[in-house]
This record gives sequence, C-alpha cells and structure tokens, in this order.
Amino acid sequence: MAEDIKAKLEKYRTAPFDSRFPNQNQTRNCWSNYVDYYRCQKALDAKGLDTQPCEWYKRVYKSLCPISWIQKWDEQREDGTFAGKI
Amino acid sequence: MSSFFGVVAKQIKSHPALIPLFIFISGGATMSVLALTRAALKNPDVSWDHKNNPEPWNQMKPNQQYKLLAVNMDYSKLKKDRPDF
Repeated sequence: MAEDIKAKLEKYRTAPFDSRFPNQNQTRNCWSNYVDYYRCQKALDAKGLDTQPCEWYKRVYKSLCPISWIQKWDEQREDGTFAGKI
Repeated sequence: MSSFFGVVAKQIKSHPALIPLFIFISGGATMSVLALTRAALKNPDVSWDHKNNPEPWNQMKPNQQYKLLAVNMDYSKLKKDRPDF
C-alpha cells in the first residue's frame, strides 16, 4: 500500500474524480480531504506507523481548496477553534 | 381535503379541457416532492443522525452513483484510491 501511494504521489497531476462529490460544489470535497489529512496523521502517529500515505490527502486538498481557507483553518487548528473533529 | 377534491371534481366536470392541466400540475408537484425527499434521505451531504453517522459521505462506496443521470462518467470503472488509516 505504501509503495502504491508513493507511485501515485509521483504521478499526481490533480485531484481525481471523487464519486462522493459528483456535482459542481466541491466545498465538501475540500473540507473532507483537509480533515482526513489531519485525522490520518493522528491515527498513523498513534499506531506508530509512517505517515507517508497521508500525503495523498494533503496533495488533494492543496489542489482543491482556496489558499485563504487553508490558512484560516490552520490558524483555527492552532487556536483550538477548528470546527472539524480531528 | 375532501372539499378540495370536490371543488376540483366540479371544475373538471364543467371544463373537461382542463384535465391535462391537472395532470401536469399534479405530476410536477409529485416530482418536486419526490426530488426533495430523495435529497433529504439519500444525499450524502445530509446527516440526520449526528451521533452515529455524522459524515455520511464517508459511507459511500467508491463507485456508488448518487446522480440520477451521469453523462460521460463510467462508475463501474472507479476504484478506491484513497489510503486507509
């Protein structure tokens, strides 16, 4: 699985089609990948595994999300006011 | 409600040419109600049960189709491409 992820990350061009979010409004897609990245990090850290697979989520949310949203959410995470459950 | 159908029945008897109108209006009303119900129940963005299912979009399979008509997207070929954690 880790080797697939490395291969996929090297061939990454943009966020792939996600059947969970098929319509024009991709807000939820951005949110989901942002939250999944930090959840993945937390989960794999807790298990003591390498967090390299989590990079997939980071690449996807960086492709999808407006930079201002990412900055706002990063600040909220630091302040502890982030609305998502991580 | 019975008076409503009584009124409608009287109107139809006196103006039978209005029957197609009633058919289309009731058809349109039914379709809009069905669309709203489908959106409320099946839409993965909608979460009714915050405790047990707070993020319903995560319960979807990678090739599950929500749209009623999908043009140019072969859902059977989609695979899961997100890493597990």
